[in-house]
Amino acid sequence: MQNKLSFHQSSVSLEIIGLPDYSNNENKDQISIISQWKLNIIDKPLIEGKIEHLGPIMNAFYIYSNLLIKNKIPLYESKLIDIKAENLHLHNIVLKSSKPNVKPLILKIGNSLLSDTINCFDQLNESPQVIIKKTEVTNNITKNLRFGLNNKVKFFNFIMPPFIAICSLILFSSSFIYFYYPVENKDKKELINP
Amino acid sequence: MRKSYVNNNIKVREFDALIKITVEMSRYLYPYIREILKSKEDSEENSVIWKDFNERFIELIRERFNVDSMRVKKLSNQAVNDEFIIKSLLTLSLCISNQGCQKLKNFLFDF
Repeated sequence: MQNKLSFHQSSVSLEIIGLPDYSNNENKDQISIISQWKLNIIDKPLIEGKIEHLGPIMNAFYIYSNLLIKNKIPLYESKLIDIKAENLHLHNIVLKSSKPNVKPLILKIGNSLLSDTINCFDQLNESPQVIIKKTEVTNNITKNLRFGLNNKVKFFNFIMPPFIAICSLILFSSSFIYFYYPVENKDKKELINP
Repeated sequence: MRKSYVNNNIKVREFDALIKITVEMSRYLYPYIREILKSKEDSEENSVIWKDFNERFIELIRERFNVDSMRVKKLSNQAVNDEFIIKSLLTLSLCISNQGCQKLKNFLFDF
């Protein structure tokens, strides 16, 4: 008997069907061997597939939403799925079948359905009952930010020691001005104007 | 941008608290946020919701922000602020999960 779990968000529901891994002492309610998943968007065709398709599709949605919000070109293309912004409110999704001679499925969804879908994926990611390889896109700080922080730290580490060294050298050497006694100059002046 | 003559830098704890409040509020208001986004998608059918929201947004901006600033002027211009509002609402709607705080921080750092 297979377990079935559903995640709902407004007009979108995600259904996960699978079995627990008894060799890992998992509970009978858990799912870690996913056999099938179904993504149901109201007024749109049903999307279903195998476990190897779920990860890339979730990643595609996460990457696309990141691009959209960060004012980068909102375009994601892969072997399995293409997502492209038609305008500010509509997104074109092209799902390509792995089977030959099957036409790709084209969906047009708005911002509301896009956020519903991503929230369903978030629920799946955070569910303790489903054990899958969690997507790393949303949980980690973005690469740009990480590089930005590293660069700042590196810049300060690079510039501060020589800056402090130069400042201390100037301060230290300026104190010697008080001990400067131009004896030779005085002698020379006396020779010129005896 | 705000109507204030005091420039206080926000502390990390205050920033985190603000993020938490924002995420909790967006979780609570998700159905409304969703409806506003949806109303813009098919503007002919439900444009009243979008219009009302936009008017109230501009009203609040003019009330609380420094309207002499060029950035604020852009925000309060109904013809130009669509993209900003949609992206802000979309950002909020994507941050209602348990890890919403971290997500919102990441989005804000790149905003």
